[in-house]
Amino acid sequence: MMAMGRPRGFDEETVTAAAAALFTTRAYDGVGVDDLVRQLEVHRNSLYKTFGSKRGLYLAALRWHVSHVLQPLTQRLRSEKDTARFLDAVIHRGELDLLLLAAVERAPADAEVATVVTSALHLLDEALAETPILPPGRTTAITLSELLGERLRMRVTTASTDQKGNL
Amino acid sequence: MARVTTENGNLVVEIEGLDKLWSLKSSLTIPLANVRGATADPGMVKEPKGLRAPGTHLPGVITAGTFHQDGERVFWDVRDGARAVVIELADQRYARLVIEVADPAATVDLIEKAVTR
Repeated sequence: MMAMGRPRGFDEETVTAAAAALFTTRAYDGVGVDDLVRQLEVHRNSLYKTFGSKRGLYLAALRWHVSHVLQPLTQRLRSEKDTARFLDAVIHRGELDLLLLAAVERAPADAEVATVVTSALHLLDEALAETPILPPGRTTAITLSELLGERLRMRVTTASTDQKGNL
Repeated sequence: MARVTTENGNLVVEIEGLDKLWSLKSSLTIPLANVRGATADPGMVKEPKGLRAPGTHLPGVITAGTFHQDGERVFWDVRDGARAVVIELADQRYARLVIEVADPAATVDLIEKAVTR
């Protein structure tokens, strides 16, 4: 339905990527159109013209994240020699965060988000099945649920350390 | 204030009360296939509105009717900007509608569920 040749005053992919970053740091309902206009540096009307709505932008950002962050992640996993170290890095970085937030916050209320999240989980499941990772001292490979759970716990740890630093 | 419903594959926007007079419109019917999305957007009222023709614009009180801006036609019916919903359209007389509704979240949900991306 997206008409071709519609004039846009900005690079759609850059804005989509920036929106993905913004939605990774804040809850969907916590990001208003004012925030999007200010932080993505686009005109309100252009935003509506390009993405249809805030939810349209969110879906575009989530799909972009799957194809530009999570898919490359699975490819890197397949070519990685030291998979346990790679896994540790993934737990310490934020690549899984938008997916985690979407799964918790939007997917239960939004069928289209649920579809994107489900396919992303399949993608990661497949990659982990293809390249089993044995963390040091274990005899069974790590599962996606464990990986996501570890990332969740790491976010908590990071936040509480940050807070201590600020006191 | 406007009331938004969906029926038979259409989005129906009914302008309520005296706003009919100010906006010179009583209702709008748009095929859902031409609706691109809806967003609750309290900040929209602060945007420049362009030229009014025809309609009523008393800044800070009411924005109602057809406004022309950057070659686009936008329909407004808003008194309280906090409850404004922006409905983006495709291939219609209006590029978008900016209307005030009783429950912005419910209206957005109704429209977004009817629009598939």
